[in-house]
Amino acid sequence: MTTTVRIDRRAFFKVSASAAGGLLVGFYVQPGVRGDAAAVFRPNGYVRIDADGTVTVWSKNPDMGQGIKTSLAMMIAEELDVDWRSVRVEQAELNREWYGGQGAGGSDGTPSDGPLGQRAGAIARALLIAAAAKRWNVEASTCETGRGVVHHRGSGRSARYGELAADAAALPVPKDAPPLKEPRRHNILGTRVGGVDVPKIVVGEPIFGLDARMPGMLYAVIEKCPVHGGRPVSVDAAAALAVPGAKRVVTIDGHKNPTWLKPGVAVVAESTWAALEGREALRVTWDEGAGRDESSASLSAQFRELAARPGKLLGDQGDAARAFDAAATKVDVVYEAPFLAHATLEPQNCVAHVHDGRCEILGPLQMPTSGAQVVAAVLDLPRESVSVRMTRIGGGFGRRLTSDYAAEAAFVSRAAAAPVQVVWSREDDLRHDYYRPAGLHHVRAGLDAAGHLSVWHHHLVNVSRNRYRLGDTPPESTEIYGLMAPPFADPGKQFDNDFQPTLIPHCRLEYTEASTMVPTGALRAPSHNFNAFVIESILDELAHAGRVDPVALRLSYLGSAADFPYEGDNPAPYRPERLKRVLTLAAEKAGWGTPLPKGRGRGIAAHFTFGSYAAEVAEVSVDAQKRLRVHRVVAAIDVGRPVNPLNLEAQTEGGIIDGLSAAMFGEITIERGRTVQSTFEDYRLLRNRDAPEIEVHIVPGVEHPTGFGEIALPPLAPAVANAIFAVSGIRVRRLPLAVGGFRV
Amino acid sequence: MPLLWVLRDTLELRGTKFGCGRGVCGACTVLVDGTATRSCMTPVSAVGAKRITTIEGLARGGTLHPVQAAWIEEDVPQCGYCQAGQILTAVALLAANPQPSDEEIRETMSNNLCRCGTYLRIRRAVRRAAHGGVAASRIGGAQ
Repeated sequence: MTTTVRIDRRAFFKVSASAAGGLLVGFYVQPGVRGDAAAVFRPNGYVRIDADGTVTVWSKNPDMGQGIKTSLAMMIAEELDVDWRSVRVEQAELNREWYGGQGAGGSDGTPSDGPLGQRAGAIARALLIAAAAKRWNVEASTCETGRGVVHHRGSGRSARYGELAADAAALPVPKDAPPLKEPRRHNILGTRVGGVDVPKIVVGEPIFGLDARMPGMLYAVIEKCPVHGGRPVSVDAAAALAVPGAKRVVTIDGHKNPTWLKPGVAVVAESTWAALEGREALRVTWDEGAGRDESSASLSAQFRELAARPGKLLGDQGDAARAFDAAATKVDVVYEAPFLAHATLEPQNCVAHVHDGRCEILGPLQMPTSGAQVVAAVLDLPRESVSVRMTRIGGGFGRRLTSDYAAEAAFVSRAAAAPVQVVWSREDDLRHDYYRPAGLHHVRAGLDAAGHLSVWHHHLVNVSRNRYRLGDTPPESTEIYGLMAPPFADPGKQFDNDFQPTLIPHCRLEYTEASTMVPTGALRAPSHNFNAFVIESILDELAHAGRVDPVALRLSYLGSAADFPYEGDNPAPYRPERLKRVLTLAAEKAGWGTPLPKGRGRGIAAHFTFGSYAAEVAEVSVDAQKRLRVHRVVAAIDVGRPVNPLNLEAQTEGGIIDGLSAAMFGEITIERGRTVQSTFEDYRLLRNRDAPEIEVHIVPGVEHPTGFGEIALPPLAPAVANAIFAVSGIRVRRLPLAVGGFRV
Repeated sequence: MPLLWVLRDTLELRGTKFGCGRGVCGACTVLVDGTATRSCMTPVSAVGAKRITTIEGLARGGTLHPVQAAWIEEDVPQCGYCQAGQILTAVALLAANPQPSDEEIRETMSNNLCRCGTYLRIRRAVRRAAHGGVAASRIGGAQ
């Protein structure tokens, strides 16, 4: 996701003796940033080998269920060439010298951070070989490694890594990074590896954010104005402070950037329950601000009014208006996206301790680097004075790209002069989320007489999460796909992600920003999570209207297109051939075109983003009462050479179930400026009984691995909607399905 | 005060999770005399002399409960936050019904939300635990 704070990745490696006399390999970026030579001697980095042979590797990024703690460790351990079962995996703290930028977003950990760990592992292995060669007085090139041992081919001598650790620590770092292993020599990557924290999870170890404690810690719950954008005017704290255990009431003014810190009133107490009870007794007078008259109905009316006028032109190729008039088959349709909540099962929380001009943060930070910057700004401290330890995170889905909860903890800790854990209730979480933006898509598209996609004219009207976070790029930059060909975009950055409209001879793209006080932010596969629904549903509409097979239509518009440059962190281009391959594979595995039992229908959809490709076929039934059942989903997925197929399958299943849950139920509505939903009763999530059978087919890719925490989600909703059309003739253009009368 | 907060804040047994505070999500599930119970909705005063089992008390003498072992073998968790509640719901199910049908597994496990969507692996792990496909496993022994 685009909020990732990027730090120059030009890196170099340093080796140092660790406190235990072992070998420590890490790297740091931008030497001289702190000018603190001692920093590289800190016992941290990617790899440590103790003299007793213990191998420890660090995951620089936090794990919120996407499995990166395991995947990054596998990538390091592979190049280190050790037995996976001997590896201890630790979560790194925030450490700019050792790791550069840290955070999890944009499915970026595997492609961008994985190679850093691989290089760290390879360098450590080269040094261990060099230490052995020196000891045996042989050429390093005559030595090899396997499972944590260096062997000398000629003499048959061998030494375990632990025995070599002290010698290796004294050697100079190789100037150039040694070559990585040939993939055919991999014995960790590509194997099915269980999550490294799973043994802790099943016994209930206190490893999540909400489990974090500091000595003398107090608990805080924050009341916010129920109307979005409102703020406290006055507070009557007497009744709150009369609750046993309540200690203090703190007014939070908020920051001008509401993704950093929102206004509110905190009750600080000796226990979570006392804080919750204290808040119940709090009496706050609010200035509700400009948002008080907003509603879902007023927003929808605004979207429609704006859609009736031309938007800002983002791209124009050919003559879309004339081509639409001339099209043999055409659709002129409106699709509507609701606000969505993230609803991480672990509510937002964080521990902070502000003391002696410093701030310690301990909590479920998805973005520790930018989180530290936010905390520093809110406290007006230098960034170096903020330390961050990351716990395991009970779900992200994009919510914790925003570090507001850390800023709240820091603000309240300073006011309370004690370590404080801020705890959000479920109601707080659903009412005061940074929602997936709502919007309206007006699309006019058509096929020519030969059944080929000839025109695509898309006008998106929505509220911009980039505007909400005060981003310095245009509001549409987080909302729409495919910046178009010159002169509308830099040719080197022609392709952002998502869909490539320039594959269609006549295309035109417009954007209009709507205004709202409702907070917005990124949600898993941001923008893709609804844009794909629009694009893939409309392709299906055209296919049915033009009597073209939906798979064939997609294969024809993708045609023999060349690769597109991809403006992500991953240098791999967007390769339409790979999208065609997952489409073909999913169709084949799902039995596309073969008869189904009466009352069932199939739908297909595909998507590219973050360097990865997925296609999904849903098989559904709909009865006369619009009872919907998704029986089976067949997914084909291409993430290059997959790091951990066991986790790839899990993320694909999870993305599909998340996508189905949102498609079925997901909708936040607004009345009188307030969020209506506040519990899992009125913001429903899919339950076990409604989860379909899922088949995951992995393309045996050879490309550098890409991330897969998000790619499975976007195709699911359109695949289901297209299947609903196939079986019932009902075209779904507004989500969630429950609003259209469908029920599970 | 609800049992949940006594467990977490007073007794420092933080394996039991806070998810919704209304008994809807099941993250706070504990066993009260063997019955799966929402600790967020159970006043501590109502517990009396009943026996409470939390996730921390499931393994015996360093050996995991078969349901915990099955959870590892099927690599069920993603974020993991709901899993203590899922495991205790499964333990209560198998204690009452050692050989549940697939339908019974789906229905009972529908009491607990998983935001990450681990439902298919949950089903497989309960089946595995029910059908004895789990080797005795030491705590912390698997990775």
